[in-house]
Amino acid sequence: MKYVPDKDILLFRSCLVSVEYPGVEASTKFVFDKLGVDYAISEKQTCCTGLGHYSDVFNQIDTSAIGARNFRIARDIGRPNLVMMCATCYAINKKSVKLLNRKDELRNHINELFDENGLSHLKYEKDDLKPSENIFHVVDILYAKRDEIGKHIKYDLSDYTIATHHGCHYCKVHYEDTIGGVRDPNVMDELIKECGCTTIGWYDHKRATCGTGFRQRYSNPDLSFTATADKMNAIADEDVDILVHLCPNCHIQFDRYQYLISEREGRSFRAIHLNIAQFIALAMGGDLDKVIGAKAHTVPIDSVVKDLKEVKK
Amino acid sequence: MSIQQKINDSPIEFAVQIINDVKNSKDEGVLKCVQCGMCTSTCPAARHSDYNPREIIERVLDGDLSIIEDDSLWDCFYCYTCHSVCPAGNSVCEVNQILKQIAVYKGIGYDKLYEYLGFADSYFTAAIGAIPEIFFTDIDRDVPGWWDFRQHLDEIRSELELDPPLMPPKDVIEEVSKILTITGFKDKIERIRSAEEESK
Repeated sequence: MKYVPDKDILLFRSCLVSVEYPGVEASTKFVFDKLGVDYAISEKQTCCTGLGHYSDVFNQIDTSAIGARNFRIARDIGRPNLVMMCATCYAINKKSVKLLNRKDELRNHINELFDENGLSHLKYEKDDLKPSENIFHVVDILYAKRDEIGKHIKYDLSDYTIATHHGCHYCKVHYEDTIGGVRDPNVMDELIKECGCTTIGWYDHKRATCGTGFRQRYSNPDLSFTATADKMNAIADEDVDILVHLCPNCHIQFDRYQYLISEREGRSFRAIHLNIAQFIALAMGGDLDKVIGAKAHTVPIDSVVKDLKEVKK
Repeated sequence: MSIQQKINDSPIEFAVQIINDVKNSKDEGVLKCVQCGMCTSTCPAARHSDYNPREIIERVLDGDLSIIEDDSLWDCFYCYTCHSVCPAGNSVCEVNQILKQIAVYKGIGYDKLYEYLGFADSYFTAAIGAIPEIFFTDIDRDVPGWWDFRQHLDEIRSELELDPPLMPPKDVIEEVSKILTITGFKDKIERIRSAEEESK
């Protein structure tokens, strides 16, 4: 098990979480508070550039220069452990730290630009951060604290059929750092087990992309939604009630477009979509509107979760 | 018929250009490709389109520069499945991204980027990477209730007691705008926008 911190954490704000599923941020804070994780959010931290980066608009120097600024802010407030709610923020930031440490030419070029333009306070020095020791996803923190989850569980969700969708940019980009590995991703299955539930485990297309493909969803929707349908059909074959996510972009693809893909496939899809932090927060008794952020969901959470029964102590 | 021995034409220069690109994190991975096809066999774009990651590396190793003009490059999902399974330690996903940046540097693919310039605009105005407004009509058509939800976003965020607010302070936006100006990003965006708008 790799080293995972539970303090000095900058909870890295995500554009997609902020504007599409703000309940993911509220749920993460709710669960972190229950588990005693020491974190803060900074208004100075800005977007990782990921959506623009993977649409080929931002090049690496742009993304890594923005990264260097965010890394400096994290260090300046004494929170050098960046923890991401979005798989793309995670992949983008980890790659920038790797490149800034390994590629002297890139680091020196960005630092020279900062020096020449009155931004010397943002300079990044080699090994200011370490990719495996300072850059994490929320699931890493939760997994390291998994033994403490059980005692906070209020509701029994074990009657639901639950499956997990592990985002590609958590599992596949920096696979050497992925808890549970990349071949049979299961870190979320393990976390759900700590809530007293059993997932269906492996299913057809479990490793597959959500189909967003960044530009594909908007510029090439046939390709995008055909890929999503592979997985959505596999989920329906298993009669899944709740699909659990760790990335807001995957979450959008499944939750926002489930009705459209249902029409395209001529098949009724009924799963609801929760981020892992929302799932655990719900099991811990988080309010649907004040913590989970149910109003932001397209497939209503209460279309599946109708009654919550308390666990027998 | 003569058989062209391409190795004599130094085709490796193209691969070396990719290896030396700042975005490459796989060292000399591209040269280690054995054309096993694991990438193509696991690729969602290959499953559903003409995209062929194995062939991309074959053409790079052949020194075939015309690949940067191949439209199928733009079908990659950037899911990194090829990157995660390659037994030789190569990453077609990264090579694809590098090829596209080479294309853009040469003025190719501006039409593919034009709709996504909204990501740049939102960074300069709000330091966030919001979904470009140009797609809102499609989203509103395809996602029931989405527009209504977005109209109530502030209320929902308020009920969740999220703090700090969505928009970063003015000095933060100015600082990141300055960074994206000195890296050459702003000039590139304006070049793409004016070229595309002149061609319409």
